[in-house]
This record gives sequence, structure tokens and C-alpha cells, in this order.
Amino acid sequence: MATFELYRRSTIGMCLTETLDEMVSSGTLSPELAIQVLVQFDKSMTEALENQVKSKVTIRGHLHTYRFCDNVWTFILQNAVFKNEECQENVSLVKIVACDSKLLTQ
Amino acid sequence: MAEQVLEGSQPVDLSKHPSGIVPTLQNIVSTVNLDCKLDLKAIALQARNAEYNPKRFAAVIMRIREPKTTALIFASGKMVCTGAKSEQQSKLAARKYARIIQKLGFPAKFKDFKIQNIVASCDVKFPIRLEGLATTHCAFSSYEPEIFPGLIYRMKQPKIVLLIFVSGKIVLTGAKVRDETYMAFENIYPVLAEFRKIR
Repeated sequence: MATFELYRRSTIGMCLTETLDEMVSSGTLSPELAIQVLVQFDKSMTEALENQVKSKVTIRGHLHTYRFCDNVWTFILQNAVFKNEECQENVSLVKIVACDSKLLTQ
Repeated sequence: MAEQVLEGSQPVDLSKHPSGIVPTLQNIVSTVNLDCKLDLKAIALQARNAEYNPKRFAAVIMRIREPKTTALIFASGKMVCTGAKSEQQSKLAARKYARIIQKLGFPAKFKDFKIQNIVASCDVKFPIRLEGLATTHCAFSSYEPEIFPGLIYRMKQPKIVLLIFVSGKIVLTGAKVRDETYMAFENIYPVLAEFRKIR
């Protein structure tokens, strides 16, 4: 299964990448294995978000900028409100990058 | 030109609008030639508020907030600007899009700007007997309520298409200059009055 690499830029993805980099440079891990771990991370994130996350969030805000190019939507929202069943969070500026998961199965 | 007549705010020039009603411009479509080949993908990647999906449509769709408009930008350098509420706003918007393209590094010019269509609407504030109108003006009218609830009136002089609804709401389209819209409305108004529905 092909996957997107976009979750590598998340906090957890960055931490993983950093750790793998350290291990590769200290020689405890081969670069090939590090790549394999990252590929597995892409798969696991996609799968986890698809199958294990049940909660829904609504995001409202002022759409400052949008873009659609190469099948990727980019949105920049100002004064966004993230809402789920339990809580609500205000964010002054948020960038949303969204890819069409249908593209992976094609 | 700030002669946008808001209902009740300004006296209507009755010599030009004997009906006392001035149709409100709702949409202006204009075209302009930027006269240079464009790399649409580069534009979509750099400009804000742009959409480019070549599989569905061969143009970049870009929007600006002031004047609130949408532009279709083609690789040939031709551009269509829609959504403005007046001719001047349409031209201003087209200039803004051209400026955006220039800022992205293309030698965009501003050639052959032209207003292609003007859509206006108004309300005569009385109901209309569309069947009666359709039969007496059958050469110009098409009224098929099962297909579309409005009567389509294709006026010959000026060459304007009017959508006439039972409610008295009117849409006028096909004009290249606003006076054609005004003229078409003044032509149709006595006809509408003749077919006023008495309840």
C-alpha cells in the first residue's frame, strides 16, 4: 500500500525522525532500517487515523488563504475554533494540508 | 462611477427610467488578454486562493476579496473575470489579477479588456400572468413551467434575454453595456403591467 509522508511533519513524526537520525549517526541503526521504520510509520499513522480514531472535530474560522494544486488542499485559517464532543480550542492561526486518500488506491 | 442606485436612497432619473425602477447589476463577466504564455502550475503554487486541477479544467481558478470576484486564468494568457457588480469593479478586479500574475514574474500586459455580459435583476412588485404573456408574445417567449418556472423572453431590440417570474421578479442577461439592460426593462415594463395578475 502506498502512503503519504505528510504525518512525518507532525510532532510525533518529527520526534521519530530525530531519534532515527541520532541512532543512524551513532551507528546503532543502519540507514536502510531507519527508512523502513519511517515507511512503517506512514502506514501505521494512516491506518490508525482511519481505523482507531472515532472522534470527530469541527473546525471553523476565517479562511485567509486556500490552494488546490497537485491534488493537495491547503487552507490557512485565522481565529479558528476546534470543537469536539468534549472541548473547544481557539487557535489564532492554523494551516491545514489535506490529501485525497483515494489517490493512494488508484 | 458611483451611480449605483440603491433603492430609495437616490431619486430615479425618470427620463431614463420611466418605470421608476432601475435594474440592479448582479454580475459582470469580462475578458482580457494578458498577452503572454503562463505556467499555470507555477501560478497555482505561488499565488494565494488559487485552484488548479488540470484533469477537470484547464485553467487556474483564482479569487480576490476586493472586488469580490473569481478569475479563470488560461495558459494562453487569456483571462475571464466574473462576479463583479459593476463595469468599473470588473476592470479593477481584472487589473488586480493581472498585477498578481506580473508579481509572479510573468510579463503580463492588459490587452483588449472587454465586458462580455451583464446580468441584472429587479422586482416589479406585482404578480404576473405568465401564460397570457407567453401566448400574446409567443414569438419571443418560451414558457414551460414543468421545465422551468420562469418565462424566457428573448427580446430582439436590444438583444437581451429576460427571465420573468410569476412573483414579479425579473432577471435580465446578455447585455454588453448596462443601457441595454435598462432599455430592455423599460420595453418590457408596460407588457408586465398589462399582464399583472389581479388577485
